[in-house]
Order: sequence, then C-alpha cells, then structure tokens
Amino acid sequence: MAADEDTDVFEITDFTTASEWERFIARLEEILHEWKLVNRIPLPPVPKNDFLTGSWLEKTDDLYFADFKFVITYHYLKSSSAENQLKEQRLSPDDEETEEHKEDIIPTVLQDMMNTENDFPPKAHCLCRWYGLQEFVCIVPSTAIDSDSRSKILLSSASIALSNACCQVPIFIQIQHQWRKMYSGISVIPGINVEFDVIHLNKPPSQYNHLAGLLDVFKAKMATQVTPRPTVSVAVRFTYVLQEWVNSPWSQAFPDISTATEDDVGYTSFWDLPFGACEDPVSELNLACTWPCLSEDMIVENQNYSDLDPLQAPQWSVKISMTENPLCLLGDCLKQFLKSQTRKETTDELLGNILSTEEDNAQAADISQALQRLTEPKVAYNIPSISNVVNKASSRLAVKPGHAPISTETLNKILLFLFPDAKDSFENEDNKEEETNEAETSDQDNKYSELLKNLDNKLKSAPVDSLVHKLALCLCIINKRKQHGGFQGLAQLWQEFVLEMRFRWENKHLIEGVKKGSPNLGTCLLNQKLQMLNCCIERKIRREQLYKGYTGDLDSPQDSPRGKLQKESSSLGTSMSSDSLNQSETSSRKNSKTEFSQENSGEKTTSVKAMSIDSSSEDEFFECDETNVENAQKSENSETATEQNDKEESMDAESETSEASLYKDSLNYKPEGRLTPCQDYKLLNSEEPMYIPVTQEPAPMTEDMLDEHAEILAKLGTSSEGAQIRARMQSASLLSDMESFKAANPGCTLLDFVRWYSPKDYVEEEFEDENGQIKIKGHLSARMLIPGNVWVEVWNTARAVPARRQKRLFDDTKEAEKKMDIKHCHVYNIAVSNLKKWSIEDSDIPRLKDLVEHLITKASKITRLSFQDIKKYEDIVGLVTYAELCIARAKSLKNKFSKDLLEKPEAEEEMDNFVSELLHQHEVPVTGGPCGPAGSIIHKLFVMAQKELHMLMDDDREFQPTDDAKNSVPDFPRPFAREYILRTMAPRPAPYSKTLPQLMFCSIVDGHEFRLAGAFSSDSTFQ
Amino acid sequence: MADQEVLTTLKILIIGESGVGKSSLLLRFTDDTFDPEQAATIGVDFKVKTLAVDGNRAKLAIWDTAGQERFRTLTPSYYRGAQGVILVYDVSSKSSFNKLDAWLNELETFSTRHDLIKMLVGNKIDVEKRDVSKEEGLKFARKHHMLFIEASAKTKEGVQCAFEELVEKIIQTPGLWETDNKRNGVNLNNDQAQGGACGGYCSVI
Repeated sequence: MAADEDTDVFEITDFTTASEWERFIARLEEILHEWKLVNRIPLPPVPKNDFLTGSWLEKTDDLYFADFKFVITYHYLKSSSAENQLKEQRLSPDDEETEEHKEDIIPTVLQDMMNTENDFPPKAHCLCRWYGLQEFVCIVPSTAIDSDSRSKILLSSASIALSNACCQVPIFIQIQHQWRKMYSGISVIPGINVEFDVIHLNKPPSQYNHLAGLLDVFKAKMATQVTPRPTVSVAVRFTYVLQEWVNSPWSQAFPDISTATEDDVGYTSFWDLPFGACEDPVSELNLACTWPCLSEDMIVENQNYSDLDPLQAPQWSVKISMTENPLCLLGDCLKQFLKSQTRKETTDELLGNILSTEEDNAQAADISQALQRLTEPKVAYNIPSISNVVNKASSRLAVKPGHAPISTETLNKILLFLFPDAKDSFENEDNKEEETNEAETSDQDNKYSELLKNLDNKLKSAPVDSLVHKLALCLCIINKRKQHGGFQGLAQLWQEFVLEMRFRWENKHLIEGVKKGSPNLGTCLLNQKLQMLNCCIERKIRREQLYKGYTGDLDSPQDSPRGKLQKESSSLGTSMSSDSLNQSETSSRKNSKTEFSQENSGEKTTSVKAMSIDSSSEDEFFECDETNVENAQKSENSETATEQNDKEESMDAESETSEASLYKDSLNYKPEGRLTPCQDYKLLNSEEPMYIPVTQEPAPMTEDMLDEHAEILAKLGTSSEGAQIRARMQSASLLSDMESFKAANPGCTLLDFVRWYSPKDYVEEEFEDENGQIKIKGHLSARMLIPGNVWVEVWNTARAVPARRQKRLFDDTKEAEKKMDIKHCHVYNIAVSNLKKWSIEDSDIPRLKDLVEHLITKASKITRLSFQDIKKYEDIVGLVTYAELCIARAKSLKNKFSKDLLEKPEAEEEMDNFVSELLHQHEVPVTGGPCGPAGSIIHKLFVMAQKELHMLMDDDREFQPTDDAKNSVPDFPRPFAREYILRTMAPRPAPYSKTLPQLMFCSIVDGHEFRLAGAFSSDSTFQ
Repeated sequence: MADQEVLTTLKILIIGESGVGKSSLLLRFTDDTFDPEQAATIGVDFKVKTLAVDGNRAKLAIWDTAGQERFRTLTPSYYRGAQGVILVYDVSSKSSFNKLDAWLNELETFSTRHDLIKMLVGNKIDVEKRDVSKEEGLKFARKHHMLFIEASAKTKEGVQCAFEELVEKIIQTPGLWETDNKRNGVNLNNDQAQGGACGGYCSVI
C-alpha cells in the first residue's frame, strides 16, 4: 500500500516484455508455473529399483526464442510408493514444524545426486543415468546449437527463469547434435547453484582410460581447496558382451525360399504350418558386473593393474538383446494369408487364362467377395441345374495340363489329405499312421490340454482336425508357397473344394471331418454350412433309399414293436423301413427352426421325401408331396385328401362349438402316426387312450439363417399387431404338431392337445356330478380361452395329417442347393484360430500363458463379432507373431542355458526361473553373482566363446591383459563398456563455502565413446 | 429424449417354465400394464425398451420365449448373443422352481457367451399361496452365481428393479458389451515400441 502511494504518480510497472530474450524467459517461467514446478517441497528420495518399476512421465510444450523453436519437456518419475510418501508429508505438516524442518530438508537435486540406491539403472533417460535425477526439464532445440555463446545465453535464461520462479528442478539444454547427447544444465536452489556439463569424445585419452585417471579429472574439476581432501566414493560397472553362442547355434531350418523349386523340403506336409523364427531371436547377452559404493582407496585400477576382476564383482546382472523383427514363419505365413483376403481378383481373372474353354461358363466365383463376406454372398455362380452338373462336378476342373498353379500330383495329395475317405486303401493306411503320430504328439502335452479343450468353446472356429481346419491349413500353405502358385493356387484349391462339395452332394457322399448333426453355432460359419450340407446329404441319401425301396446297409433288425405297428397302421403301401435308420447317428438333435416363409409349391420336384422325425423315436417316416398323397389316398383309402380338405374348411367356417360334429367326422379316419401313449391319459370325449404323435423336426439352421430370421422377427416391431404376426409366423411347427396330434388321436379336442403340449394350461377342477361323486374335470386355462388367440386359431385350421404327409418343415433339396452357393465365406478366421492352438502346444514357458490367454480372449471376441473386420484379424496375427517370437526366444534361451552346463542338478528350477525372468525383464540380477548356478553357466559360456575366438585368431593377442595371461586365454573379453560414478561432498568454490555434493559420471564404451558428465554444486552465498 | 445417445444395445432373454409369467413381467416392464389373460407365447416374442442406468442409456432388445417343452426345439436358437438372461419361476409353483436346473443347462448349451449375466426372478409374490420360499430362491441363485429378486408383474413390485439391476450388472462387466474400439488388456503396439526404439531412454550401450 505504502509503495502504491509513493509511486502512484506516473510510474507504471511494466510487464510487457520487450525483447525476444525477455519474452523467452517469461514464457519459460510461465511454463514452469503451468507445470506447477515452483515453490515445491523437495521430493522424497527414490526407493531402490524405482527407476525401473516406476513409470516415467513427460509433459511437453513448445518454446520460441524469436523464431527459433525449442521443445521443452518435463521428465519425471512417478512411482506409487513415492506418491504415498508425498501424501503423508503433505498431510502431516504443522506449519511451524515445516518451517523448522526446511533447513534440514535436502533439495531434490542434491539428494538425487548422492543417492546410491539406484546407480546404473537398466533402462533410463541418460540424464537420469548420469546424475540419478528423478525429475528434470529438457530444452531441445529444433536445430542443433553448436556455438558456445548461444548455449550460454540459453543457460543463463534458464537460470534467470528458475530463480524468478523459485523452481529447483534442473533445466538442461541440449547442445550439439542430438546423437551426441550433450546437455548442459543448471539448477538454482536458494544459496546453491548446481551446474551440469558433459564432455563427449570418440576415444578415451589413454591417461583417463582407467579409474585413477578419472579420479584425477574429477578432483581437478572440483577444484576444492580444503584439506584433507574429501574421500571420493566410487561405483563401477563393467559390461561384457557375449555374441558367440558356441554350444548352441540356432538350428531352425530355413525352409522354402532356398529350396523353393519343386520339392517339399521345409514344409514337411500340408497339415503342418511352419513355426518358429528363421534366425536366432536372441542376439547377445550382456553381463554387467557391478562394484557398488567403494572408497577410492580400496580399489586400484590404472594402466598396469586392475582390481576389477569380473569374477570378484559382488553384483552380477544379465540382460539379453533380441534380434529385431526376426522372420517368424508362422506369423509371416498368416500375414500373407490375410493379405490375400483383400485381393479383389475374380477366379476368372486368376484362373481364367489357364482353364480350358469348356469350363469357362461353369464357375466364375467372385473370390474376393467370397472370402470377404460373412453372409451369403451375392452369387456370381450361375447355379446349373442338377442334371447337368452331375456329369461336370464329378470331374476336376479341366485345366490345361502344365498350366495349373498347383501340380496335379500336389493337388491330389492335398485333396487326399482333405478327404481321406476318397483314398485308396493302401494310401489310407499310410495316412492313418501319420494321423496317429500326430495325435500322439499332441497328447504329450497334457499341460495345455485343458486349455485346448476350452479353446473349442472359446473360439468361434472349427474343431481341430476337422475338415475346415484342414482346409484352412492347406489354403494357408498354398498361399505362402510360391511354387504352388501362391494366390492363384489358393483360388484353384478353393475351386476344387467347392467342386468336391458339389460332387459329394450330387453323389450322396457324406462329407468327412465335419461333425454330424445340426450346425454347431459355436463354430465358424463355414463349418456350420458344411454341417448343414451334411444334413442335407444325409437326408437325401435316406430319402432316395426309401424311394427305391432299398433297405440295404442301413437296415437293421427290427427292434421296436411300435415301429411295426406304425407300419401296419400306415395307410401308404410304400411304408418300408420305419426302422431303417435306427442306428443312424444323425437322427439325433436337430434343434433349429422352421422354415416358414420358404415353403412353396415349387418344391414338388422330388416326389417322395424322407424325414427323420422324432429324435427319441429313432423311427423313420417318409412323405409324399401333396399331389402324390392325394393319388395314393384315392387309390387306397376311402378318404381322400380333398375330401379331408373340404371337411377342414367347412370346420374352419364353423366355430369351436362344432367340435362335436368334428368328433363324429373324425371318427371316420384311422389314427395315424402314433408314437407312444401319452402317460395314461384318455381322450376327453372318448375312452381312447391319448397318443403322442410322431412330429416333424424343425429344420437345422446355420447362424446366418438364424440371424436372418431373428431380424425378420425383430423387424415386426413391438406393437401388438407385430406380436400377432410373429406368433403366426412361428406357428408353423405348432400347426404341424397339431396336425400330427389330430391324426394320431381321432376325435381329439384342443383340450387334449393342450394337456400334452402345454400342461400348465390344462386346469383340473373337482366337481360333484349328479350322483354326488367327486370327479375331476379339466378345462382350458383362461389364457387359452381368449377369443381369437393363436392357439385356437391354429387348432381350427389344423387338419388331421400325420407328420409324414405334412409339408416338410425342412426342405433338404433346396437347402442343399443354397449351401452350394454359400460356401464362400470366411476361411481365415479359422486359420487364425487354429494357429493359436499351435502356439499353445509349444509353449511351456511360464508367463507366456498370460499372453496366449490374452490372445485367446481377444480372438474369441473377434471371431464372435457379427461384423467381421480384417483389421481385427491383423491384430490377432500380430499377437500370434508376437507369441511365436516369445516362444522362439524362450527356446533359444533354454538352449543356451542348457542343463548340461549345470553343475548341480538341484539348481534346475532356479535356472528355469532365471531364464523366464530374462525373457520378461529388462535386466535380471544373477543370484549369487559369479558363484551362483546361473553365474557359473555364464562364466562357462564366456570361456567357450573366448576359446573359440582365440582358436580362430591365435596370434592376435592384442587385447589380452599383459600381466594376467601368459599362455592361457582370459575368461572374459575386454569389457565392452565401463561406467564409473564418482561422488564426494566438498565445499565449493571457497574452502569456507557450504559442503555440497559433487558428482561425476564416466562411461567408456570400447572404441565408441568416452563421456564425462559432471554435476558440480557451489555455494552462491559464501563465495 | 429419444435421440439422446444410446450407449449400447443389449440382448436380454427371458426364459422359464410355461405359465410362470414371463410375458407378463416383460409387459409390465415395457408398457407398465398387466393383463391377467396374457395369451400363451408362441415361439418367441420381442420387445424393445430404452433404459437409463448410471447415466448410461442402454437399448434393450428383450426376447420373450415360450416355456412349453415342445417349443424348446425352437426357442434356443434365439439364445445366441444374449448378454443377460432372466430366468423366471413362479413362487406358487414348486415344479416351476424344480425345473430351473434344466433351464440353466439349456442356457449353457445354447448361449454363445460364457460370461452372460443371469438373473433369477421369483414371480407372482402377490399370490397368497406360496410354494417356494425366498430362502430357497436365494440359495439357488447363490449356487449358480445369479442375481436374485422376487417380483410380481401384477403388483409391479420388483419388476423395474430387476431389469435395471441386470442391465447395470451387464454394463459393469468388462468385455460383455463394449464395442471393440475400447481396448482392454495389453496393447501390443506399445510394448513393441518400447522394446524397439529407445527414444531418450536407453541403456548405456
């Protein structure tokens, strides 16, 4: 206030910054404020290992000096433990206390410098490595600053900004070229300045190439005048590199490319995908020997003598470097396969030129569509009528000889692999052997068997060893191998496959390697479709057998009296094999649903059709289409279908009340299609026992069909009309069941039906009849009595027709024809997932399990996505490749640290742990140092490598330490890198100044680099 | 309101024995009505409702199924892709409760997800004659890791709560409903970047 009054006249405090330089400083301050780096209490010391376990974070901003751009970055360590301590500190302080303590608290920078806990972090920013800093600000110019004066200006700007802002975080300016990692920096603490500077040379001057020389430099730089001179504490680390793995050269066969011409070397078969890395994924091993915190008096290292023998080092740690992106066979193979999915060529374009003309009109599948679309592709296929395909389909694609991408021989091999049932007998045996071998090998792996079992459930794929699985493998390999035509070969094989499918359908061979029964919705679409096709084929077989009256192989001795009964009671003279399919596995579950909308008169192409009916009955009925039924009935039965129709129609016109008349009428027809008595129920209007009728199975469906249906149903909306229509649409099977029921129970009523079908809606009530006896009478539940409800309506429209004469709910002919077109769909998802199995089988590496599990979850998610996206699969392939790499690395390491080098067998477990840690951690300490089991192996490895090296170049003794080795070769090579950290506390600049931490970091990399990084603090008050 | 952004669409199933009140529960939830003479469902029925849970709006596509034994060849086809299932029994009918195991089996067989959220609802608590105690319901739900509530479609009690609870649970379950742009788990690319290029952070050699 007072000041205001004094200066109030014309003096204005001017905060507009005039010069570029001022602006630069102001902006710098601003940033420091923004980042809240000002006026902070010092951070706690970094706990041991936190440089590695904590996470390094950054904040970045742009900064301009005139138009010269800098990037300013704040690097800081965030460790959970440190944070907790910080909180405690913030919570606890009484104000006074902190005031008192302020003196005692050591500023972060100084504390970091003297903290010996975290020397030689395995992986850190160089500034952190050199000075042990846990936070610092870096200013990096956009183009290198090479003049001293410019760097001085920047440094003094930083210094001004720091003191203006009361910020103790050190600021570093990068000078010279970036790769040289030259930083000069400053930290301003009240009363103390710390200056950081770096010297970087290519070759160490010989007088400084050892500890003694470095100590001299340090002391000279420090230039303290106190006596006695403070003792310097020294931390040393030597790093040795091992690149020659004498005992375990990488042995992965390098297949394909080198041997590429004709034979199959490398790719042993069509059912093994290649696996592994082509080169040794582990390139070198770094052994770091550390002597932490020694006094300068305790060790001697000078030009002639060294105390620093690696075998005497108290701490050993090991790091491995991996080959960058080694070629992984499996990953590569998959990648290419995926790539092929995006190609747009049609088969015509690919194969057209080599197909002979007669086939030209036949199939021109748009393969790009085929492979990309999940749902039914728009068919570029013109479906030929059955008759003219039969002759065509049996033949292979007529390819001009010599032009096919896949040679006939190979093609035959592949096809035999895919369809083993087509083999000649002796070949068959051959294959069996192989198969059992395969089985054995996979059986060995108990460890992952459980995982594998689950895999089938988790992944929407195809079962291992199924046809789809095999096909995917083949396609994958064909695509990869150039001599088989690559992508063209792929197209060809696909064509062949489609033809084979068609052939099988035409000629009624079941498809092998596809699980029987209705489509398993847990598998991929292609697999479902093949299952569906199989269903169709199967029914076709049965139907035609019945038609021809053929009761050959499939016939079995009659075992069911009920079946006989049915035969007898059947009004059609053609009943021949009600039990013919007793043993057929396939009459089992066919859970799916009715084809309602697709029923039409157009399907009367086949005259007699077989239906596999109730799963529990194991009985077989057949049916005629309507015209035939009529004919048959006219000739054999008193009641014709037309009459029946008339009757039904008239009944429809009447209401429920006419049930009595219906009863009378219906007594005229014989019961048909009875399955079993329904408990001991009697029909309500007569004393006839009630029978459960034989009913139709709903049609099997694949998931895309289901989706279609669900969509249709959902589209009807949520209105009550919609619900009505929905109910009606789904009443097809209800109608079918009602008709069957009526046929089996002449004279029945809806009440009877409900008693069987929906017992809850059959309400029993006790009442007294006129004789005073208590009787039980059933009636329909309230909801069944709602006027116009679908149940009643359907009941009224239902005619007494046994299942076998009803319209089929599942039209195999039509479905099969459809399937022929649909088979183009995603193959690659299967491929991908199958491969996962591979990686798992091979992985007995701990921790990799996590990766694989992650892979599986991810894959299962992706394979289940309704919209299939190639990008996602690329991700998976990436993961697979990564897993493959991990496995290859693990194998390689296991090999290198092989057990035979181990002296004590009981240490095996420890070694295993060690190896797995090596895989997952950046740097692994060797327990027991040179004396531990791992240490001794490493020692041996070095010795072997050394011997090998010196055998090759025996005269070249240049880098043997002169005194140490007379004839013998030293156990270790020269250290590749040597690092020293020299620390002391000394008053600077004057003897009476405060005693402050001083530090110098030196690193000498053999032949590359000599670097000194010094941090010297000086008292700015008492100079 | 209507065009407020919907977080996700969830597929919910309602299953259980015939006549336990599945359709009534659904109708109470979607239309807040109750019809004592609700017609028996044929096959499956379908309703949609948008629900706000925890500030997230979720669109529910609820599939109501017929409970009759004979429809079981038909209805499980629609189990595919459901994120939640409401398994209903009638507290006044022991038999409807005893059949729960069979329904769970069915669900296990036909649902495509292993992590779908299951909720057990004991319906018709308005009915005086009770055949299944709350404890029994609780016990069953605990055994099979389900949510549990008793409700009455007639009196409205518990209905809204049941659906909300289920949806909330689904939304809280990672991986059950997210579309894939939200990644969870390891991001491989990052891993590799760290391992390969060293940026400023590299070791001395």
